[in-house]
Amino acid sequence: MTNYAVGLFQTPASALAAAGTLKGAGFTTPELMSPVPMEGVEEVLGEKKSVIKYFTFFGGLIGGLLGFLLAAGTAVLYVHPTGGRPIITFPPFLIITYEATILLGILFTVLGFFISARLPAIRERVYVPEAAVDKFVVTVACDDNERFKRAEAILSEAGAEQVREQSEED
Amino acid sequence: MEPETNDPQYADIHRDVVRSIVETGPKYYAALATAIGVTLLCFFFPWFYQLYYGLGAAGVNHPQVWGTYLASFIFWIGLSHSGTLLSCVLHLSNSAWRKAMYRSAEAMTLFSLMVAATFVLVHLGRPWFIHWALPYPNQMEMWPNFRSPLLFDVMAIGTYLTGSSIFIYMGSIPDFAAVRDRTTGWRNTMYTLLSLGWRGTDTEWHRLHWAYTFLAVLIIPLAVSVHSIVSWDFALSIVPALHQTIFAPYFVVGAIFSGTAGIVTVMFVLRKYMEGFDQYITKVHFDNLGKLLLVLSLIWTYINVLELFTGWYSGTSTEYEALNYKLFGYYAPLYWEMILFCAVAPLLCISKRFRTSFVPMLILSIAVNIGMYTERFLIVGTSLSRQYLPDAWGVYVPSLVELSIILGSFALFVTLFLVFVKIFPSISMYEVKETMVIPAAEPVVPKEGSPT
Repeated sequence: MTNYAVGLFQTPASALAAAGTLKGAGFTTPELMSPVPMEGVEEVLGEKKSVIKYFTFFGGLIGGLLGFLLAAGTAVLYVHPTGGRPIITFPPFLIITYEATILLGILFTVLGFFISARLPAIRERVYVPEAAVDKFVVTVACDDNERFKRAEAILSEAGAEQVREQSEED
Repeated sequence: MEPETNDPQYADIHRDVVRSIVETGPKYYAALATAIGVTLLCFFFPWFYQLYYGLGAAGVNHPQVWGTYLASFIFWIGLSHSGTLLSCVLHLSNSAWRKAMYRSAEAMTLFSLMVAATFVLVHLGRPWFIHWALPYPNQMEMWPNFRSPLLFDVMAIGTYLTGSSIFIYMGSIPDFAAVRDRTTGWRNTMYTLLSLGWRGTDTEWHRLHWAYTFLAVLIIPLAVSVHSIVSWDFALSIVPALHQTIFAPYFVVGAIFSGTAGIVTVMFVLRKYMEGFDQYITKVHFDNLGKLLLVLSLIWTYINVLELFTGWYSGTSTEYEALNYKLFGYYAPLYWEMILFCAVAPLLCISKRFRTSFVPMLILSIAVNIGMYTERFLIVGTSLSRQYLPDAWGVYVPSLVELSIILGSFALFVTLFLVFVKIFPSISMYEVKETMVIPAAEPVVPKEGSPT
């Protein structure tokens, strides 16, 4: 069971400042929760990289290959000559390829999103309902009571309206 | 801290949107019951009648084997265009005015596509064999013909429906989470499942931003391809007046045009009937949509003139005949009605006063869509009735079954939309919040003597 210090802020700027101070004070990287995407998080907590782009790219690639194989394979399996034209006809098959590229690109992007954002959540995690309405929240893991007190002091100093202790089973 | 102005705050939008979902008045139930009733009576009943007696119940016959079902199919596909496409374009161009209206616009896309898909079924004599159009291994070793534009359609529309559903869902996850905390009972269970455990952490927002952007980038070319492909159903045939290279852009522009008009209609209704939504859907939206309608109308008009010119310039007798028939033949009044509604009436949008007046914009949006339906009917209806041989000419008039199904399809759309507004937050809360002033951006308690 890990305990967390949870600070609720009125503005994103003060929440960000608090997160920066916590990080500077040697705490594990704090997590921010907010009702809207926050700007400037990466400047304070470090750059974020996501793997979604690889999913999109390879999804599209696989989709394109499968799409072309589907159309060309069908034509080869069930040969239906028309007007002496080639059996594998590129112009129409490229349309199928195009659509399949996008279809699998989309599906893989969603998969990449779920994996990298760790959704759906299969275990209970610290959650602050106010963060979905109008509060900007900073949470940070605290091993013991002493660290909690320090985190609480930092959060309060940065202008937190309220500081709570929550554990992951909450 | 009390807000200093009357501008809506974060908590207000939250309250208004949650209320639009959980509080349901008798008017809503009356509207829903009427919509379901009309759908059953005007859509499903005539359809079953037609299934029982055969396609003869519809007015389609030689030479006119494409009727209003196909016209409706194109119309609904077209209407679906603006929602997701506009949403994607405006997302990538970072337009703030998109935020209050895109969720409903995307829902419009989704439901228009569903209604369009039902017209494919309605158009078939034996819809229970629809799976024959899908590519899958089967014991008959029967595979669809991938060289046919109809198969392009299956792939394109299937992809578009999948993409649009995913796009609207992904954008709604944070809002599902926000609604989850304010609901109880079955609604709470539903939103808990739909929100997937979203907490709004910095990492989640970061991932959502990128996934959403990639989806937008993928969906824009997809949307353009869908209506291009629908146009090839016609343009790849050798029917006079249809066999034209301009058809793909013509259909795409027409689709976005009618879709934008559809958004104006939906925005008007949401603004009028959803309590509190008038704060978020404002004159700015109507003004911008009006500008868009004007531009699209001008492009559409240009392509129409070009179409006439190409026919005339071709110098072939069949094209002349098709042109003559379109402008002065049996269906000519419909043609001129279309020109009036889609090329002349939208010119009113030049005036800012007109664009920012709600009721005139509503009337214009409906007129544009009547005109656009007529356009689709003319494409489908007038071409086959005047093909090459004069002894194969004939006039097509839709039967009562067809007319009833058209009416019923609108009721079906309204039914789906009414269900939507009670399940999905119909305004994107988090994005509207983004456009607002951050709550109490000033220090919470101003220090004595400080300039603020």
